[in-house]
Amino acid sequence: MKKIFKTLSVLAVSAVMACGFAACGGGGGDGGEVDSSGNTIVKIMFHVDEKSTEGQAYKKRIDAFNTAYKDKKIKASASYQARTTGAAGYETELLNKQIEGTLPDIITFDAPNCASYANSKLLYDISSLVPEDVQDDFLSLNEYGGKLYGLPIQESSAGFYYNKKIFRAANIDVSSYTVENPWTFEQFKDVCARLKNHGTTAVDMRLDATKDETATYLLYPFIYAAGGSFTSADGFTATGYFNSSATQSGFQFLKDLVAEGYTSYSIGATDFYTGKVGMFLSSGWTIPEIENKYKDTFASRDDWGLLPYPQGTAKASATGSWCYGITNNNHADKTAAKELLLWLTSTESSDAITTATGMIAARKSVNKNYAAGSPEEVLLKQLQLTGKARPATVAYPTFSTCFNQIIYSLKDGNLTDILNTQTNTLQSEMNKLHK
Amino acid sequence: MTGSTLIILAVFAAGFIGLAVWDIVRSKKKIQKYRLRSAATAYLMLLPAVLLAFLFILLPILYSLGYAFTDYYLLTPNDINFIGFDNFASVFKEIGEKGTLYHAIINTLIFVVGVVPLQIGMALGLALFTNRKVRGVKIFKVCFFAPVVISLSVTSFLWLQILSPSETGLLNSFLGLFGAEPHDWLRDPKTAMLCIIILSAWQGCGFQMLIFTSGLANIRNDLYEAAALDGANAWQKFRTVTWPGLRSTFVYIIITVFIGACRIMTQPMLMTGYQDHTVTLSYYMYTQGYSYRWVGYSSAVALIMTIVIGTITLIQRRAFREK
Repeated sequence: MKKIFKTLSVLAVSAVMACGFAACGGGGGDGGEVDSSGNTIVKIMFHVDEKSTEGQAYKKRIDAFNTAYKDKKIKASASYQARTTGAAGYETELLNKQIEGTLPDIITFDAPNCASYANSKLLYDISSLVPEDVQDDFLSLNEYGGKLYGLPIQESSAGFYYNKKIFRAANIDVSSYTVENPWTFEQFKDVCARLKNHGTTAVDMRLDATKDETATYLLYPFIYAAGGSFTSADGFTATGYFNSSATQSGFQFLKDLVAEGYTSYSIGATDFYTGKVGMFLSSGWTIPEIENKYKDTFASRDDWGLLPYPQGTAKASATGSWCYGITNNNHADKTAAKELLLWLTSTESSDAITTATGMIAARKSVNKNYAAGSPEEVLLKQLQLTGKARPATVAYPTFSTCFNQIIYSLKDGNLTDILNTQTNTLQSEMNKLHK
Repeated sequence: MTGSTLIILAVFAAGFIGLAVWDIVRSKKKIQKYRLRSAATAYLMLLPAVLLAFLFILLPILYSLGYAFTDYYLLTPNDINFIGFDNFASVFKEIGEKGTLYHAIINTLIFVVGVVPLQIGMALGLALFTNRKVRGVKIFKVCFFAPVVISLSVTSFLWLQILSPSETGLLNSFLGLFGAEPHDWLRDPKTAMLCIIILSAWQGCGFQMLIFTSGLANIRNDLYEAAALDGANAWQKFRTVTWPGLRSTFVYIIITVFIGACRIMTQPMLMTGYQDHTVTLSYYMYTQGYSYRWVGYSSAVALIMTIVIGTITLIQRRAFREK
């Protein structure tokens, strides 16, 4: 009995070892699924909950598409997977579908993932599917290796929300700092010093937000603005870029803000909203937050405003939001997917979705008529004039972790050592991916 | 993927059926008829459990074992190549260069050494406390068990509020009453792991308390009465009656708590993020496998970890074996 059991076990393990290495995956199809009524089904997966405001906006556009394309026999089928920080998140679901060979025809993805998705051929090259005039109408495009892989759903930028009541009390005038005439790093520090002298915590730089993409998204423009960079143009070299002296000076500026007591890692999540902090670095999502939840502190727009990123030797501000991309799944004919992609990125859809979310429209021709000097106009102008995307590298997840670890260690560590360590980590990952 | 799974399933099914047939055939001819009926029933009843164990335990282990020798990258599941022991070489190189894996091993060791005695000690103390025949003791039992049924994510967020670095954080504001300066408990490498150990022991000890309680219930009361007649005090009763009576329960608890401690991931993930001073082996594997998408490398780490944990568990069993 024991002998037979042993033999069977060896056979089973050998079979596994042999099969495990075999190529696996689904077979090919052509135009995709067709339902009983003869409609070609185009599947799309969204990164938000269906019941959320954003999810509802997508749902309405999908319903409108199905009505408009009824005669053309194309039907969109949407699924919604809210992204969370854990294993149940959107990305996990997406990767599982990639492994199973069941990728939908269209996915949404966060802009920094474009390089790795494109490099691994998860995304389909849509350069020839999207007309030139449509491409020209976007504030930004998701390109990799000179090819187009994604179209933004909406745009996002960030800036410094400031409490006008505190600024008035401290006799600080920042009205001359605009996107066209930005403040410098030194002027930024001067404002911080005056706020500190006034007895207020000067600025919440979100140094605590290193568990996810938040800190990277909000702080990377400082490095570009200081003349620094992260990777080579092809995204496969970090040495000499991520640890260059210009990059170090950008991080040094952030370190100085901590050392001089203008910001810290221990600012409470609601301290700006409750009037304890003068400035707050955040994205456009904060506008509805201030207006809807904190009327006690900010009764009207006379009580708060938005300042652009300060600039150094170069100009940079945060960009990059979620995008639509067509997948390289087993449906060779992308005609129906192209129709849905163009529908969802049309000016009408762009307008409808950003009206629901309060974000900046991705299409230039969607005119929202923002008031001069309003926070929304500051964000839009930043995107037009100083917006610079995060590095396009296939090793982006490692880059994000390395960036977060630098921010986390800024206060106490030796900056040169920290940058060299993280650069080595990133370079090693890039070498592994550069086959 | 589906194809190879089906082949493995077929091999497994063939093995199972072959084993059942062989078991029946080897029996003596005169009882074969009876044996055929009873064995078929037994194997049919065994089948669902064996199938589930195969699908959810054996199959993932076998796949992981296979992947450890490949360059499997999550985004390219159709391009998996055999690379021999390269992943294992990378593991030892990472440890040698004192990279993140090195920190993960050290942090996991610190966690295990800290949490196993603390959690078991707390559980035993609580079990002894709630085992007394005092009115209202059941309320305490429910309170002590409550953290076990709350999700680790929820308790981690709760502790994030307690350990908030701002002066309004619960612990900082309490210590502030005595003039202490606010402290960033989770950023400070000296205190971060300690906080995670305390949180984990608090969260988990309620479950072991219940197991200890059932162990205590199995100790005969006349042993305590005999000890009392011999003039034993409370400590002597514990040392000579309670502790020997709990020996097998203790062995079970120490092994399960040890294995659980080696797998810690949620607490550092939610409380500090991926940082050198709190990253653990499981968190490292998850990050390498899912965030960085290197399934092959992550599987190699998992395989080594399984072998190490298995070996230590065997040593524990041998060490605590009844003489």
